[in-house]
Amino acid sequence: MSWAYITTVLIMTGINLLAVIGLSVLTGFTGLFSFGHAGFMAIGAYTSAILTVWLGVPYYLALLIAGLAAGLISLVIGRLTLKLKGDYFIIATLGFGESIRLLFNWFDPIGGSRGFRIPSEIHYTSLSDVIIINLIALILIANLINSRHGRNFKAIREEEMASQVIGINIFRYKMLSFFISAVLVGIAGGMLAHLTHFLIPRNFDMTKSTFLTIMVILGGLGSLSGSVIGTVVLTFIPEFLRNFNEWRYVIFGFLVVLVMVLRPKGLMGGYEISDLLRWVKRRLVRRRGEKNESA
Amino acid sequence: MKRALTLLLSLIMIIGLFTSCTPAAPGADTGGDTGEVVKVGWIGSLTGDQAIWGQCERNTIQMLVDEVNDNGGLLGKTLELVALDTQGKGEEAYTVTRRLIEQDGVITILGPNSSGEALGTIPALEAGGVPDIATVATNPKVTFDNGKVNPYNFRVCFIDPYQGSVAAAYAFNEMGKTKAAVLYDQSLDYSTGLTEFFIEQFEKLGGTIVAKEAFNSGDQEFKTQLTKIKSAEPDVLFLPYFFKEVGLTAKQARELGLDVDLIGGDGWPSEQLFDIAKDEMQGGLFVNHLDYADPAVQDYTKLYTDEFGKPPELNGFLAWDAFKVFEAAVNKANSLDPEDITKALEGIEVQGITGFIKIDPETHNPIGKEAAILRIEGEEYKFVTKYSVE
Amino acid sequence: MEKFIQFLINGIAIGSIYALMTVGYSLVYSIMNFSNFAHGGVIMLGSYFGFFAITILKAPFWLAALIAMTGTTLLAVVIERLAYDPLRRRQAPSLYYIISAMGISIFLENIVLATLGADFRNYPPLFQTSGFYIGGISIGKLDVLILVVGTISLFGLMWLIEKTKIGLAIRATSFNLRAANLMGVNTEFVIFVVFGLGGLLAGLAGVMYGLRYTVWPQMGLITNKAFVAAVFGGLGSLPGAIVGAISLGIIEAMATGYISSNLRDLIAFVLLVTILVVRPSGIMGKATEDKA
Repeated sequence: MSWAYITTVLIMTGINLLAVIGLSVLTGFTGLFSFGHAGFMAIGAYTSAILTVWLGVPYYLALLIAGLAAGLISLVIGRLTLKLKGDYFIIATLGFGESIRLLFNWFDPIGGSRGFRIPSEIHYTSLSDVIIINLIALILIANLINSRHGRNFKAIREEEMASQVIGINIFRYKMLSFFISAVLVGIAGGMLAHLTHFLIPRNFDMTKSTFLTIMVILGGLGSLSGSVIGTVVLTFIPEFLRNFNEWRYVIFGFLVVLVMVLRPKGLMGGYEISDLLRWVKRRLVRRRGEKNESA
Repeated sequence: MKRALTLLLSLIMIIGLFTSCTPAAPGADTGGDTGEVVKVGWIGSLTGDQAIWGQCERNTIQMLVDEVNDNGGLLGKTLELVALDTQGKGEEAYTVTRRLIEQDGVITILGPNSSGEALGTIPALEAGGVPDIATVATNPKVTFDNGKVNPYNFRVCFIDPYQGSVAAAYAFNEMGKTKAAVLYDQSLDYSTGLTEFFIEQFEKLGGTIVAKEAFNSGDQEFKTQLTKIKSAEPDVLFLPYFFKEVGLTAKQARELGLDVDLIGGDGWPSEQLFDIAKDEMQGGLFVNHLDYADPAVQDYTKLYTDEFGKPPELNGFLAWDAFKVFEAAVNKANSLDPEDITKALEGIEVQGITGFIKIDPETHNPIGKEAAILRIEGEEYKFVTKYSVE
Repeated sequence: MEKFIQFLINGIAIGSIYALMTVGYSLVYSIMNFSNFAHGGVIMLGSYFGFFAITILKAPFWLAALIAMTGTTLLAVVIERLAYDPLRRRQAPSLYYIISAMGISIFLENIVLATLGADFRNYPPLFQTSGFYIGGISIGKLDVLILVVGTISLFGLMWLIEKTKIGLAIRATSFNLRAANLMGVNTEFVIFVVFGLGGLLAGLAGVMYGLRYTVWPQMGLITNKAFVAAVFGGLGSLPGAIVGAISLGIIEAMATGYISSNLRDLIAFVLLVTILVVRPSGIMGKATEDKA
């Protein structure tokens, strides 16, 4: 593979990764399942594009505002839907995602269904942008997950009722994780907009939402490194499969089912890479100990 | 069990790696003189809701590539087609374009089959310095935006404003219609584009739009919109979308007793339209790129039908022309370098099946292409007239 | 007024198609507590089965419908065995079922696309497409057929569930799977039957849908409407599914008719969320304990 092409795929991976990290907080750590995050991605993408094109806002600032805009909307949507249980919440988010797409289709000043173009003078998302933003996000989220708040998220995922009894404000935590996921997905949308320099609402359909969720689940719920691995694998596999054209998604669908059936906890199954390293180290230490004893 | 899975996964990845490094050559039995291979790309929908058009384009171009190779190849080299799927999405079109340029090293890209995809290719083409000849991307912005031409984007079809205006002018001037209704797919860029320019032209000429109703891609039920349109009493109904929905619309309109003349654009013609609503479509008029009675058109239709067992969609004709334009540009430049081909494309003149094509260096659009008005009679598209508006 | 009645009729017509799709999905939900996103794929294949039965086997319409329903029943049961059963053995949470279902749905849609192509296929017309007219109001013959067939099959299903022994077992299992199992209900068999019934209804829905419109690989997407309708009515409740589907059809027609066709789906979703805010388990849903 040529390096230029690998770079392209890596940038795509990075954009997906940021969105998946966001969703991982929601789905992996809090146990909420959304089919509407393509909507937040669209909000982020359009907001950032409008900011850089019409108002000349610098790229990074535009991304930040785009993320916050998506976050703001998530607070409204969350207030309405986060009290819903299980599949009711899923369908409500599905409805939200489709509604956002409809709104962008319908709203003409930003191109409607004919799309919105970002002129070529404006900054293109580069590999370094993607790496910087993802590193910041990973560090922030890893810290959050390991904090008291992170433990509360997991408590809600495991036993919602019990968490409430021990005094965790469930609604507030769900809201927080919904907000974080929307912000990160929104920023990912902004990066995507500035990569392809062209936005069209049909890109942000339900397939996009489900694809992101599949990445989280396949990587392993409740594992940040699992999300990273899931994203890398699931961005690269379809790339490798490109030459199969019509058969590509047949294989992809089959693989998804296969992983669910054979390894339903996902590739990392709730463990982090650091857990794995620690385990290997322990094994090594023990073996060395055994050797020393026998020597 | 786990090991089996890991093995299987890695196997698939390895297979994928190999196939992506050495793309499967569909026309491997080529007859070029030398062993040297030069690649041309095609992108478009092979999956997703527009797959039917993409598949036809890909087949057509494969046919032409084989033909070129049978006749000694392109500038003595064997031509190889790398055709990749975009799922009809702009974002995928971007990635696929980069892949074709950076990984496969194609000298030109043909397609895609819609504007939403074509607009996504612009930054990728500019980064790679490879030209693209779009087949049915009719949005003006694909080649020309904000007074600036996109250096690597070309097309062989006419653009939305033209098609929309022709339909409006024909309805008003030639059919004598004054009250038009429009039903359109609001999530389809092609449909909203045609609608906008149809309405603009029709009102400019002095007609009124009595109803403008929308639906979303994937909808198949239009009766409520049609009920509203019926009560607005139009004398002509403009249906700027593809034949599946057009056929269903016609059926449902007749069911409701809405008996009004139908007019549409190049999304109409297809053999499959007659399966859906042959009787209901009788007398319908539409703007098209070509006249089906033209001998060149019939030759290609026959070739395609013999090869693939079904007649081509409209996109096939434009894919044919896109390929011919590419071939002419290579011969004119006498070079296989993408930059040279790009330069040669500007101002190139080719007699295509959809008419005489001259690529305007200022806008990268074909100039002087006349629209044809066709009428549905029985199972045929009868040529009515060439028609143009200034 | 005439217009209002026409809108209402249009709404009921589309609503009855939604209903056929929603009930099969809701039935599976009532037992398994997860959204079977593969339902759309099964409906799509049902359409194809029916189409090929008519065009290749030259079967009359009723036989084609029967063939299609047999095909989808088998398909649904096979999917259950291959994709859901292994998860149930591990007592995986419903999230995994949903992802597995999504995988199946992607697989089915694309395998049809890859093997049969993207062509639109059309059932030969059963009637001339004229409607009945009452005053200025038109009623499509096909719409009437779909409504009648739908009503008969849904009443049949209700009878099965309310009056037969297996129905009792289904109700018991849907109330509490583990308890039913302990009380001697063969829940394995119940699940088997429920998926079979879901497939049967999917086949019927597919044939009706194909007859009314056209058949193509992405047609399963319409089931998104069925999911919304099910949530409207209350997940897992069969009367709720029917009420939800018909009201969704009517809401869509009225929104198009009186507000704007551009905003139709948006209005439907806003109403959905409003209903859920007021009644978090839909119009007729059982108040769910969070099992996940």
